[in-house]
Amino acid sequence: MRELFVAMLKEEWRIHSTMTGNLGFALFPIMIAGFTFMAAWILPVLPGIVPIDTLAFIVHALFALMGVMVGSFGIMGREFMNRRFGQASLIAYSSRSLPVSERRIFSVFIAKDVVFYLFLWVIPAVLGIAAAAPFIGLSPGLPPLLLLTFTLSFLEGLAIVFFLSTIYAHSPRIAGALIAGAALAIGGASLVGIGPAVLLPPYAFLLAPSALPLLASLVLIAVPGACSIVWATVDYPDATRRFPNALTGLVRRFRFFSNPWFVAKDALDLIRSEGGIAKLVFSFLMPLALIWVFLSVLFRFIPGISPLIVFAILLGVISSTTYNWLTEFESFSSYAFLPVDVRTVLMSKLQSYVVINIVSLAVLLAIAFGTGEAGLVVPAVLVFVSVSAYTLAVTVRLTGLYPSTMLYNARVFFTYIAAIAPVLLILIFSSIGHPWVAAAGVLLLPVAWILISRASLRWTVWEMPSY
Amino acid sequence: MHGIIEADGLTRTFGDVTAVDHVTLTIPQGELFGLLGPNGSGKTTMNKLMTGQIRPTEGTVRVMDLDVAEDPLGVRRKVGIIPEQETPPSFLTAEEYLHFVGKIRGLTDMEERANSWFNILEFRDKKEVLCKDLSRGTRQKLMVAQAFLHEPPLAFIDEPLINLDPVMQRTVKDFLQEYVFKGGTVFFSTHILGIAEEICTSFAILSEGSILHHGTIDELRMDNRKLEGFFLERVRGTAHA
Ligand SMILES: Nc1ncnc2c1ncn2[C@@H]1O[C@H](COP(=O)(O)OP(=O)(O)O)[C@@H](O)[C@H]1O
Ligand SMILES: [Mg+2]
Repeated sequence: MRELFVAMLKEEWRIHSTMTGNLGFALFPIMIAGFTFMAAWILPVLPGIVPIDTLAFIVHALFALMGVMVGSFGIMGREFMNRRFGQASLIAYSSRSLPVSERRIFSVFIAKDVVFYLFLWVIPAVLGIAAAAPFIGLSPGLPPLLLLTFTLSFLEGLAIVFFLSTIYAHSPRIAGALIAGAALAIGGASLVGIGPAVLLPPYAFLLAPSALPLLASLVLIAVPGACSIVWATVDYPDATRRFPNALTGLVRRFRFFSNPWFVAKDALDLIRSEGGIAKLVFSFLMPLALIWVFLSVLFRFIPGISPLIVFAILLGVISSTTYNWLTEFESFSSYAFLPVDVRTVLMSKLQSYVVINIVSLAVLLAIAFGTGEAGLVVPAVLVFVSVSAYTLAVTVRLTGLYPSTMLYNARVFFTYIAAIAPVLLILIFSSIGHPWVAAAGVLLLPVAWILISRASLRWTVWEMPSY
Repeated sequence: MHGIIEADGLTRTFGDVTAVDHVTLTIPQGELFGLLGPNGSGKTTMNKLMTGQIRPTEGTVRVMDLDVAEDPLGVRRKVGIIPEQETPPSFLTAEEYLHFVGKIRGLTDMEERANSWFNILEFRDKKEVLCKDLSRGTRQKLMVAQAFLHEPPLAFIDEPLINLDPVMQRTVKDFLQEYVFKGGTVFFSTHILGIAEEICTSFAILSEGSILHHGTIDELRMDNRKLEGFFLERVRGTAHA
């Protein structure tokens, strides 16, 4: 079992480092530490703006959100890797040729993901804060505590999404009922004034370390985690699924695009891959709902700021992560032998991206009209569309068809953050007091267009390294 | 001599490996040409260079009167290609995949074309199965069908028979011979000498990126030589030199 675990870790390293370069990949955690080191310096000035408790909650929620994202990726992970790196080249797929059960391989696979992301994100983030601690007067006991609570938050997100997706695999209805029930409970709780600390016991533990929140955290991780491993349907179905030709019909439906067959293919990838449309719920709608809840809570403390506008901006960024879904089953080598160039593939990805963004837009409109903020719907929609286009353009320029691996290069990630974070901050801060100012985000559209044209040049000359 | 494929000083390096080393080669139309070489000799790299999937470090290649480096898309529009690694998109069915390629190539009456291939290669029962669930052999059949869907005058095929059973190998070999008989040209890479000896009209031996010999199968027959002995002699000859 340990050998399998080590082999999988090595494999993960190999995949990332061949794509992004050994050094670039090794520098990634160091850069994360650098970011949190610098961010920590703002801590002493923040209490005047945002209550420190709220800030701590945001950070914990972010780690939980990361768990949710990693988790939903893990669910799809097996197919994703199968596709990209060729059959049987990966240990996770060689289960049939190993004397180990699929369930075990799946558990080890998840354990590997957890360790990998802890070392890539969580630990470096805490180390960065620890390094800054002496300069900003943080108590030296805080970083170890943060390491614990961040890790627990991350694991909580991961365990819950695994649990829900396992339930979903058995019965979408029960999963839906669970989600709806939880949403109602959260809504009800916030109405009667029960704070968010109850949802995130690791955060409660940070505020007041004691046995109860620690125990609650562990239970929230262990119970759903164990249930999902026990109930997981990890065995490959013996009966191969059959589908009548759906491509032709979809091509007709998407005929207003320049290459409707690519958009149709992307749609079939999304619908038929593991998780199916449930992916949309787990790694997209659920995080969005969390963010909305959270913004509306947070902005009670900050007058003059419109939660709808800030939500629209964040929605733009989160929408751009759906580009991962569009590319996860893709490799240009599937087209290299056909009369198709990189530009065509990238352009058709953009068209599929437009289709997915209709969902985001629907969410935005629903929230705008559902919460009585309809007066700001115009600037909200404009800023959402602009930010979504711009962050996508940056992603495509920097990572081509390979966002999920290429971003883990320190230089690429740094450029990504440097290109996006200031824009978001400027948009958010300039809209305080004057929400309509956010509509100026449309200035990002021409920039996005230039980036996309550069991207197709850049990725045309790039040659995929072989593993 | 004017050929359907004309390589001149074609070279490709990867880091310090020279995968293809100054290859000059002309292949006339109507040949079933076999590129023979041990593993790692540069056959796949040659295929990719000639179809504009990668760029040469040095030298040029013209295919059907197009400069491949200048117009890779034009070349791929005309020819058919069976790549070494069969990677059809996972979540399309076999049938959808052929329709997809047909759309890319701007073909009409796809229903008919696809069905005729399901019949020729006997995998009609698999047409509703997702590509990711197909066996390697069936996937290879699909790649054969995809390459010939638009009835190209020239086909590049890289080890296309490796995963097929003997019956299906026979079917594909017969198809290729018939195709060349009707005026097509095939550029066939393989390390299986028996197949080459059986169906190829001409061949070249590639070793460490260089062409060691270029001739016809008939010449060998006239000299009463077997391809295998000839091949081993040539390849070992350079290895020791
Ligand atoms: N993308 C690549 N990166 C690095 N080396 C490569 C790449 N493609 C091929 N090579 C190297 O080039 C040589 C020829 O490979 P290839 O053309 O695949 O040979 P063959 O098809 O005859 O087995 C080998 O040494 C191989 O390792
Ligand atoms: Mg090869």
